[in-house]
Amino acid sequence: MSRFMDVLENILMPIADKLNNNRYLTSLRDGFMIALPLIIFGSIFVVIANLPFLDKLIGAEAYAEYQSALGAASAGTLSIMATFVIVGIGYKLTEYYKGEAVYGGVTALAAFLILTPQIVGDVTGVIAAENLGAKGMFLGIFTAFASAELYRFFTEKNWTIKMPQGVPEAVSRSFSALIPITFTLTIFLIIRIIFSYTTFGDVQNFIYTVVQAPLTSLGSGLPATIVAVLLIQIFWFFGLHGQIIVNSVMDPIWYSLATENLAAFKAGEAVPHIVNKQFIESFIVGMGGSGMTLAVILGIFLIGRSRQMKDIGKLGAPAGIFNVNEPIIFGLPIIMNPLVLIPWLVAPVVVAIITYLVMASGLVPPPTGVIVPWTTPTILNGAIATNSWQGGVLQAFNIGVVFLIWWPFLKIMDNQYYESEKNDNGESNDKSA
Amino acid sequence: MNRILLACSAGMSTSLLVTKMKEAANEKGVDCEIWAVAQDKAPKDMEEADVLLIGPQMKFMKKKFEKTAQEVGIPVDVIDPMSYGRVDGKAVLEKALELMER
Repeated sequence: MSRFMDVLENILMPIADKLNNNRYLTSLRDGFMIALPLIIFGSIFVVIANLPFLDKLIGAEAYAEYQSALGAASAGTLSIMATFVIVGIGYKLTEYYKGEAVYGGVTALAAFLILTPQIVGDVTGVIAAENLGAKGMFLGIFTAFASAELYRFFTEKNWTIKMPQGVPEAVSRSFSALIPITFTLTIFLIIRIIFSYTTFGDVQNFIYTVVQAPLTSLGSGLPATIVAVLLIQIFWFFGLHGQIIVNSVMDPIWYSLATENLAAFKAGEAVPHIVNKQFIESFIVGMGGSGMTLAVILGIFLIGRSRQMKDIGKLGAPAGIFNVNEPIIFGLPIIMNPLVLIPWLVAPVVVAIITYLVMASGLVPPPTGVIVPWTTPTILNGAIATNSWQGGVLQAFNIGVVFLIWWPFLKIMDNQYYESEKNDNGESNDKSA
Repeated sequence: MNRILLACSAGMSTSLLVTKMKEAANEKGVDCEIWAVAQDKAPKDMEEADVLLIGPQMKFMKKKFEKTAQEVGIPVDVIDPMSYGRVDGKAVLEKALELMER
């Protein structure tokens, strides 16, 4: 068993290393991180604007006014989140190349806007917000990569304007960026013109139909979700941060799905996607952390007899409430522990299936697309994510399911610790403290 | 003054350790500044640190951090998983001090 584990770890470590040190995936992840505070700000106001029962309390007319007053908060952030991600990626990738990061960021945004249709119906000079949100997400990501690369290329060619000495640094810097930016954006303008002669009409439409729509529809399905969840669990089993590795690939898909849901939710329509960022974040990770270890902590308190189990329960509980579970993962331990491999892999998959089916049947509404900070405690987390109390109940039910799956394994583990503590008496108790 | 920097994915679980390490440092009477950051902030903060310790779940980032660490001239290591799980501030502090002495 231990040789087998060594072999597996030798396979997984390089994968994690490659994914994490890939400059595109790293800048993609960090780009999303830059956008995150804005997305959460917008999410908070969507939640406040859609408080359940409020319309009955203050009347329909006042409620409509209240909603439209708060609407700008999410319209200015969540609905156009692709723009922040683009600036973030352009910034981070240019920073990686040790260039002027701010210019890398705004050039990427400009390149994206050049490729974006600037007409809605017959009205010119306007950009549809949806093109800056979910619909533009993939084009935005590709554009940011390409624009940062081109910006670097032209900067490294050194075709820059050199200012004489004595010119303020800020002035000379903006001039030194002039030529690389001009060349970069000209290329995007040419691409736009070329595409206007194709049947797609514009690049955004092309990327959306050819790349984004197929990928997101695959990502919103149950099979792909189970694979993603299993991968997260397997990485964690070897002590590697599963989400950070898997999310670097899945986040663009999950965030796009969430943003599409949100647009439907704000328009008062049924949300189209069950699986999205919040499906994973609230109903898989948001129940005590990866592997839904809140149930494990509960189990320890309910059945733990050994000192070791009780200690780890006490250590893990306060952090576990806020979905931080490294103490349990490394302390129980879960990593490299063949005894818990089965519940560790099975429970999240079972919960993913239950949650999917329950939401598909309409018993619990799917997540609305608001982004709930992952540190939000369970039950509250599910209720906010779905904008309904049913979401919280579903989480509580799922915790029970996870507990049942873990129960026999926890029992065996606890007995083992208990016996060994009894055998070598006080000595080992001190060590485990 | 010993400046110890911890890094993990979001700086959450390492910040649990920071509290415990500060307690241990007080007990020992060692003058320490200890703080935790998310991994994307770590390279910047390394300039102000004497040592960088990485959460074991992020050990695949060690190579990347080592490059910057060499430039700044500080040691880097991964925290022992058991000490991490038990939030053993004393053990991690001792490890940090030992790394700095080298």
